[in-house]
Amino acid sequence: MRRMIIGMALSLVFVAAIACSGSSDDGDAAEAPPTSTPPAARSTQPAIAPDLQDKDDSSAVASGSGPAQGGVFNTLWSDPPTLDPHLVTDGTSYGIVIEIFSGLVRLGTDTTNPFEPDLAESWSVLEGGTVYEFKLRKDLVFSNGDPVTAQDFKWSFERAAHPDTASTVAEEFLGDIVGIQDIVDGNSNSAEGIEVVDERTLRLTIDAPKAYFIAKLTYPTAFVLNKNNVESLGRNWVDEPVSTGPFTLKEYRIGQRIRLARNDNFWDRAAYLDEVVFNLAGGVAMAMYENDEIDVTGVGLADLERVQDPTEDLNKDLVEVPPSFAVSYVGFNINEAPFDDSNFRQALNHSVDKQLIADQVFSNLVKPAYGIIPPGFPGFSSDIKGLEFDPELAQDLLNQSAYADPDTRPRIILTVPGTGGSPGLTTEVVADMWRQNLGIEIEIQQVEWATYIQDLHRGRLQAWSGLSWQADYPDPQTFIDVLFRSSSAINYGGYANPQVDEYVVAAQTEQDATARVKYYNDAEQIVVSDAAWLPLWWGVDSKALVKPWVQDYTFSSLTVAKFKDVWLDK
Amino acid sequence: MLAYIVRRLLWTPVLLALAAFFVFLMGTIAPGDPAELRLGNRATPERIERERERMGLDQPIPIRYIKYVGGALKGDFGDSYHYQGRSVLEIISPRLWVSIQLNIAALIIAVIIGLPLGFYAAKKQGTGRDPTIVISMLVLYAMPVFFTAPFLILFFAVKLHWVPAAGWDGFFSLQIILPALTIGIPGAAIFVRHMRASTLEVIGQEYVRTAHAKGMSDFVVNYRHIARNALLPIMTIMGFTLAGMFGGSLIVELIYGIPGAGRLSLDAIFQRDFPVLTAFVLLGAGMLVLANLVIDIAYTIVDPRIRLQ
Amino acid sequence: MTSTTPTTISTVKELPPARGHWRNVWARFRKRRLAFVSLMIITFIYLLGIFAPVIQTHDYQETNLRETQQGPSFDHWFGTDRAGRDLYTRVVWGIQTTVIITITSFVTGSLFLGVTVGLVAGYFRGWIDAVIMRIGEVVSAFPDILLIILLAATLRPRIVDLARNIEDSTGINGLVSSGIVDYVVIGIALLPLSWFGMMRLVRGQVLVLRDAEYVQAARAMGTSTPRILFRHILPNVVSPIIVSVSFGIGAIALSEVVLSFFGLGVQPPRPSLGVMIGEVTARGGASVSVLRDHPEQLLAPIIVVWMLIFCWNIVGDALNDVLNPRAR
Repeated sequence: MRRMIIGMALSLVFVAAIACSGSSDDGDAAEAPPTSTPPAARSTQPAIAPDLQDKDDSSAVASGSGPAQGGVFNTLWSDPPTLDPHLVTDGTSYGIVIEIFSGLVRLGTDTTNPFEPDLAESWSVLEGGTVYEFKLRKDLVFSNGDPVTAQDFKWSFERAAHPDTASTVAEEFLGDIVGIQDIVDGNSNSAEGIEVVDERTLRLTIDAPKAYFIAKLTYPTAFVLNKNNVESLGRNWVDEPVSTGPFTLKEYRIGQRIRLARNDNFWDRAAYLDEVVFNLAGGVAMAMYENDEIDVTGVGLADLERVQDPTEDLNKDLVEVPPSFAVSYVGFNINEAPFDDSNFRQALNHSVDKQLIADQVFSNLVKPAYGIIPPGFPGFSSDIKGLEFDPELAQDLLNQSAYADPDTRPRIILTVPGTGGSPGLTTEVVADMWRQNLGIEIEIQQVEWATYIQDLHRGRLQAWSGLSWQADYPDPQTFIDVLFRSSSAINYGGYANPQVDEYVVAAQTEQDATARVKYYNDAEQIVVSDAAWLPLWWGVDSKALVKPWVQDYTFSSLTVAKFKDVWLDK
Repeated sequence: MLAYIVRRLLWTPVLLALAAFFVFLMGTIAPGDPAELRLGNRATPERIERERERMGLDQPIPIRYIKYVGGALKGDFGDSYHYQGRSVLEIISPRLWVSIQLNIAALIIAVIIGLPLGFYAAKKQGTGRDPTIVISMLVLYAMPVFFTAPFLILFFAVKLHWVPAAGWDGFFSLQIILPALTIGIPGAAIFVRHMRASTLEVIGQEYVRTAHAKGMSDFVVNYRHIARNALLPIMTIMGFTLAGMFGGSLIVELIYGIPGAGRLSLDAIFQRDFPVLTAFVLLGAGMLVLANLVIDIAYTIVDPRIRLQ
Repeated sequence: MTSTTPTTISTVKELPPARGHWRNVWARFRKRRLAFVSLMIITFIYLLGIFAPVIQTHDYQETNLRETQQGPSFDHWFGTDRAGRDLYTRVVWGIQTTVIITITSFVTGSLFLGVTVGLVAGYFRGWIDAVIMRIGEVVSAFPDILLIILLAATLRPRIVDLARNIEDSTGINGLVSSGIVDYVVIGIALLPLSWFGMMRLVRGQVLVLRDAEYVQAARAMGTSTPRILFRHILPNVVSPIIVSVSFGIGAIALSEVVLSFFGLGVQPPRPSLGVMIGEVTARGGASVSVLRDHPEQLLAPIIVVWMLIFCWNIVGDALNDVLNPRAR
């Protein structure tokens, strides 16, 4: 799932590379998806009238001062498990799929109002929030020229949900629509909640008013496909897909490379680039960048010093990447000794000098987290009082806890996902801080991702690290409710606090935005003070290199299609 | 001889079947569930159960195994767990082809460097050059790839910009040079060693002395008599080296970003993609067995004194 | 090199060698200066590892965040890593790990299993031999490194669980934290690499020896089979075994590095050469940058591995010449 990213400290080097190259080898450890920032005012905000943009384009050609057409953009990526939008569950696939395909709505970069119309030009919410009526854009066509109609959406949604498609997320992202669950269960082929009013009007009925429904439609599961294309080519249709996004798939060699070509039938201004080439086989990113083999790369720890040296050529290419909306942490199983004692957990929190680690080990690539919700994210509050570094207080808390005596204290095993290298410096440094400041010895156990995720699901891990939680959509619910509500499936630590439950449940139905955020912040404060976690870092990637000829390549905290705005000034 | 070949050929499928069963066994022992891996961290137990059913994981091992063998006999190795909706062959074939090309390139480098150098060292036995060659090749042989690979990239790609730092663009490309060197240099060391030994052996033979005595030129003796005969035993070693390189190219593929079979199978282990892993093991084992057989047969043809039984 | 050379040895002596034989061998070995020096270097490296607790200058897991990424200095002979840990200390502890793994995997794998099975297969021949050889072929049909990784990945969690249960039920502490479990896992994972070659070697020798006159004589006198195997045949197989072992040790050390590189070997905080390499290069991705900016962090563990493999090969060569004068 996109939500969970491997935040192994060592993979910081990696994650940084991922930030803009999307490269990672950690299997399903869906990594931070590639990001992009607010496009320049001129670009494709749907609010801007299309004719204005056309003018922009023509002037570009005429004067030569604006965006130049053409060119090939090269980047490093990892091998996507699938390019079928309906099957996407991971960040690697997501980052490519959203460049090729599209749906009714898309995520924008404005976090206060993040949902932009895409193929739908507008929508209205009716019947107290249970009916959504979408109006499609005029003259919408697929990349092969076929018209896109409301019927295509109906077919696509039903196809996504069909058991033969074997989508693992259809239930989650489309299941709110009346009738979809029946299709998923194999009892039906058609959902009554999807109504084709006319060619350009689609009406979706959901089972209850849900504020996040629109967010779910931004996920590729809700993207539109071409029925003919899918049905005529069989299960490998995705090698030659007909699509609606800014690019089309030109070549796909599994494990080797993906080439995207401009979609001239895109509803908005066509992309400037002729091609985007994703190198899927990996390699030493920095060396490839310096050798002009790729146009963008994240900066890993090992290169940070050099890149920040003003006398280095590379220094000119350095750009800041806004941190992703993610938090990495050490998780505790609240049901197991010694983590059932709040004092003990707090002692562990107070004994770790995150600022020092960030400064010295990670050259400030990471930002110490003292709360859960990352800065800049809706619902972030600077008033959350974190558990700051204070070794004396930590020692006092340890002494007050039930596990002050090292002889009777249960064994502590901290498990980290270990595929692909070492457990990560964070884990080792944190463990050593516990040792030095509190005299607490722990065992670090490294297991592969497959084992890790299984044990995590089963609640078999006593304490774990190497994970971070990435926001799916810009709402505090994705952090506080999902992670700490006692009945949440991903509350791996089994944290249960009636007060927290009460707040997050109240927030679900609260209509007033300010009051809703207040609920989440109050719950967050409880979670932090009670030390349900040891939060470590917020967003890890903050530096990247972009070749000087690359223009309008932007970074943002949410994953949005970005190559349509990029142009090369060579 | 014929009986021997027939026996070997008959044994091969049994061996492959056993190897496949071994991977199946590992699949059950291994923690981590492919269905669960696919569904990610939000799946409910019912959802996981349904997915297991769909993937056929709910059936007992012997049944799955028999089904697998049945399919494999028809050339169907099943679908990958990780690459959704892709057949195993579709995934493996291009990767395997990349690895084969890379290893052949490496073998060529090893042969070009190794054989002449080994021959030269043998001819210079007793002088300082012989041990110098042997020892310096051994130094290169012992050099861990964790050093060789980044060093070559740093020097030839980043500093000199002669070749790309990573990637794959087919056999006839600049990209192949560094990885082929990385694998080929230790291989060259092996060839130097064997070529030297086998040349020394031939030099001592009577017919060589006779040839010299007959007044044949050094050149003719060197190349017609010594080198040709010394090459015979090297053929076997080439086969083994190629097979051995296969496993060794794993880290090279990782550092140079080459979409080869080594990477694929490593990922398959970590992703619990057992269909891919099993097929890979079967192909690898099959190739090894065949290579051995071909070498054995070639031997009997080249040297009639050898009898297979 | 490691796999092919020993199997070409075909010398078999008719009688068990006398004690003078070994003195003679040693004398001839010492004349080979390079091999002798290599043996000294190996001994020195291994002594560093064995005495790691004594000669360490710091604690191997002690981080010092105010002294990170330093070059070699008086206080830190090889410098420090990103967490400010002393590289020299970590290298000597890493060597200790290598030493332990080499010994355990050889004692369990090739010596115990390989030699015993080889003796049995060669002596009894027939179906026992056939079964053993076929199993060996299946195992050796896997690409080495893959099989090792597969075994390590699948076995580790099971063995760790088992060890924890043992610890909890018996009250013995530190089975897991001391790294014993890691050694067991790695030892088992390396088994396929080590046992089959050794077994084939021993079997080949035994096939010839079992019909030797003195063995036939012993059999005629009613000597028990184990006694024939271990007293009469085994001593004659010792030379090729020694040669084979000396060639194999480098490969074992390297395999540990690869396993730990992928996070399947030795568990932190205990250092190993592979853990150090994997950590500093971020699984290869940062290897170029590290080599350029902080070469000591990469070179410290690598040079040790390099020297071990090189020296063992030189020693193996010399032993091969000295012990098997006819084979080249």
